[in-house]
Amino acid sequence: MAIKTEPIVVNIGPQHPSTHGVFRMRVTLDGETITDAEMVIGYLHRSMEKLAEERTWTQNIPFTDRMDYLAAMTGNMAYCIAVERLAGIEVPERAQYLRVIFAELQRIASHAMANGTFINDCGAWQTPLFYMFREREKILDLFEMTCGARLTLNYMRIGGVAFDIPDEFMPALQALVDELPDRIDEYDQLLLDNEILLMRSRDIGKISAEDAMNASLSGPMLRGSGVAWDVRKGDPYSIYDRFDFEIPVGHNGDCFDRFIVRMAEVRQSLSIIKQAMVDIPPGKHCAEVPLNFRPPEGEVYSRIESPKGELGYYLVSDGGPFPYRFHVRSPSLINLSALREMVIGQSVADAIVTLGSIDINVGEVDR
Amino acid sequence: MVIAFWTLAALTLGAAAMIIVVRNLLHAVLFLILSFIGVAGLYITLSADFVAVAQILIYAGAIAVLMIFAVMLTPRSSRNNAGNFLQLPALVLSGLIAAGAAIVAYETEWREADRGSFDTTAAQIGDALLSPFVLPFEIASVLLVAAMIGAIVLVRED
Amino acid sequence: MLSNWYDFRDLGNPVSRLIEGLEDAGVSDGWIYVITGLLGAIGILTFIGIAAVINIWIERRVIGRVQIRRGPNRVGPFGLLQPIADAIKLIQKEALQPKVADGFVFTLAPIVIFVPAILAFAVLPWGEQMVLADLNVGVLFILALGSTTTIMIFMAGYASNNKYALLGSMRVIAMLISYELPGVLALLGVVLFAGTMSLSGIVGFQDFYWSWLIFFQPLALLIFLLGSTAELNRTPADIAEAESEIVAGFHIEYSGMKFGLFYAVELVNAIAVSAVIATLFLGGWWTFGLENVIPGWILFIGKIYAVYFIFIWFRGTLPRFRIDQLMAFAWKFLLPLAIVNALLVAVEVFVWTEYDLNAGVVLPIFGVVNFALAGVLIVAFGRMIGAAYERYPKQPMMYRDIDVPLPEPAPA
Repeated sequence: MAIKTEPIVVNIGPQHPSTHGVFRMRVTLDGETITDAEMVIGYLHRSMEKLAEERTWTQNIPFTDRMDYLAAMTGNMAYCIAVERLAGIEVPERAQYLRVIFAELQRIASHAMANGTFINDCGAWQTPLFYMFREREKILDLFEMTCGARLTLNYMRIGGVAFDIPDEFMPALQALVDELPDRIDEYDQLLLDNEILLMRSRDIGKISAEDAMNASLSGPMLRGSGVAWDVRKGDPYSIYDRFDFEIPVGHNGDCFDRFIVRMAEVRQSLSIIKQAMVDIPPGKHCAEVPLNFRPPEGEVYSRIESPKGELGYYLVSDGGPFPYRFHVRSPSLINLSALREMVIGQSVADAIVTLGSIDINVGEVDR
Repeated sequence: MVIAFWTLAALTLGAAAMIIVVRNLLHAVLFLILSFIGVAGLYITLSADFVAVAQILIYAGAIAVLMIFAVMLTPRSSRNNAGNFLQLPALVLSGLIAAGAAIVAYETEWREADRGSFDTTAAQIGDALLSPFVLPFEIASVLLVAAMIGAIVLVRED
Repeated sequence: MLSNWYDFRDLGNPVSRLIEGLEDAGVSDGWIYVITGLLGAIGILTFIGIAAVINIWIERRVIGRVQIRRGPNRVGPFGLLQPIADAIKLIQKEALQPKVADGFVFTLAPIVIFVPAILAFAVLPWGEQMVLADLNVGVLFILALGSTTTIMIFMAGYASNNKYALLGSMRVIAMLISYELPGVLALLGVVLFAGTMSLSGIVGFQDFYWSWLIFFQPLALLIFLLGSTAELNRTPADIAEAESEIVAGFHIEYSGMKFGLFYAVELVNAIAVSAVIATLFLGGWWTFGLENVIPGWILFIGKIYAVYFIFIWFRGTLPRFRIDQLMAFAWKFLLPLAIVNALLVAVEVFVWTEYDLNAGVVLPIFGVVNFALAGVLIVAFGRMIGAAYERYPKQPMMYRDIDVPLPEPAPA
């Protein structure tokens, strides 16, 4: 004796406190469960790939900040490494170490934001977000000390980094590294045993290892499903093969696993920073790159591990001052394509939680 | 005392009249709730405090919600108070019943209960439910349990 | 207690002096009744008005502190004028009303929802002679008022003529009805123990036996506290106004002062429930003899704010439940606990009255037994029904090298 129900289409619209940017989902609801979901993206398309074809190679570096604006250092780094591979430029040792320190600091900041907003989506009135923002503020202060900006940093250059670190950087970094493990333990204590958080995120948004690999996911999404793949270990770039760190891998592939994988990655980043701080040599902070830099003809695809996943740059050069083709393989877009499978069969509240756990950044999705 | 009775009676009867007259079915339910509250007031004038509060708790709290859910399940088109061909016979029949009740009420020899002051009824109702009236009490509770189990069985998706 | 009229430790003293004066002046009984009723009502409304304003400030400051930031501190010293700024902002906003909305019900809903919140204060004892309406069925009256709130919320949701508002208000009604049952059964335990449903009688019971009911009924307090958090639509059960979900609640179409009324009603409801908890479990105006020094009603207000602080604490710390998890919590966890509690209390009261035992010996034993059983029941029952999530590992596996399970290549 079933009551006739009809599915309704609901718009989780571009203006919404929980969609992490201008992202739209049209879900077809049958009662409370989702039967179909359609993603509409493109609200933040700024045609950066086309604009980059009319600017010199060095002038494109600020674009890379603004794509994934919450992880600007790794964006810069991916582009600079790609261009250096294309042109065969050797980066001095000090610059390599500085790049690694800043990339790992950016990873900590981005994961703090990702986890904070994830718990915000679960409904905890921003309290863990404020706690995690303490650390992010300290890291952003370090950035400001070095390159003058907090969010869109424009710090790395082709062949190294733009500025050398000031004198007060190392003591501040040492203070941060000393205090951060206690803070992470505090978050673990506050959050990992919270029954409500477990109920909201366990068995929600599950994706199996095989599906994750088939959908070419990367980053914490792939590692949360049980696949131990990290570009820093699998296809080492820069000087990551000199550091000793581990890859956290989840068990189930649900939202809670991605959450704990990100927390564990923060600890691993800390250990990398500690090792880099000890070994950093003096020297130049940037290689000599001519002002009218023209790399030889050719193409390159190089990838790094950004906090969101595998960030790849496909660059084609035709010998001129401008790139011929500038394409970004953005991890958020590829990770987002798996959202539909994860969301069908759950309720709307769970869909919001799942979206939060993928950790997208719409600047990167739309470029 | 008299003022209270007449105001409450006017409220109850007025709300009941509006139930029949008003166009929108949900407004009718809201007027029904108002008449429930009026009846609760009448219970208070009769010094039945427990019954009055129970009236609000059960009728205005739970049964009204039941009616609202029932109204929500009817299709939108049949929620207006449209006229139909049974209106005149219904009016005649209800007029006859009302006249009959009024005549009976008028002709009966009502005796005023001689109670002195106001005593509280909750304890007395409790005693009554458990000593002379325990069998109806238990049967009522079994009936309620049966209704709940029946509801759950009806909506299970098997 | 001194019975001089200027003894403000019990505000009933000046009022009874006033009544005597009016009787001597020959005013009829009915008018005296009306005048004293009006005085009491004015007192309560004053308190509610001030408390609603102060509570906004307290809530925002305390939540700010929980989130390691200061709360509002710009408007006035320590942000004390923030509620007034909020009120002015809401008044000067345009109160939009959709054309397809049901105009009369739309306007009526926020006004009518205030009525049960204020009525609950009428039965609370503020002092030994300070009860506005000493109903014999006080506890049942408060529960009845709680159950009428569901209709008002439905009215608000339906009148907006918005399918999300309707969906939200239906969910809220289902939740409110589910949480009434454990609340009623928990209070049944209290009523059985104290032997009376009248609130001043329960405070008198705590006065007579020289202890607070919290020491004898911890399980009832816990169940009622959790049930009220859901009844008040506060986190962790605030699906009615969940900001991070699409169905943004039954008051989605309200703006301006109508929304302000909903906001104020939520606060006044919270104060009312805190006052009920303070009366039933924390002794109301009676505090182990301290009320001879500080007036009882001031201590009562202090207790109200202590309980309200617990509500704010819940709100700052816990994430939100999903609707089906919320219903499961009410029906599968709270309700059986409440039934067991009622059974337990019935057995204890039976043993106490039937064998006519000495209260000084028996009550401490009851307290210890109740506490122990409360702890055991909660832990055991929680393990039994909710244990699946606890067994999942909380830390990820750590790998040294990459280990990707590649599928076998397809046969050629």
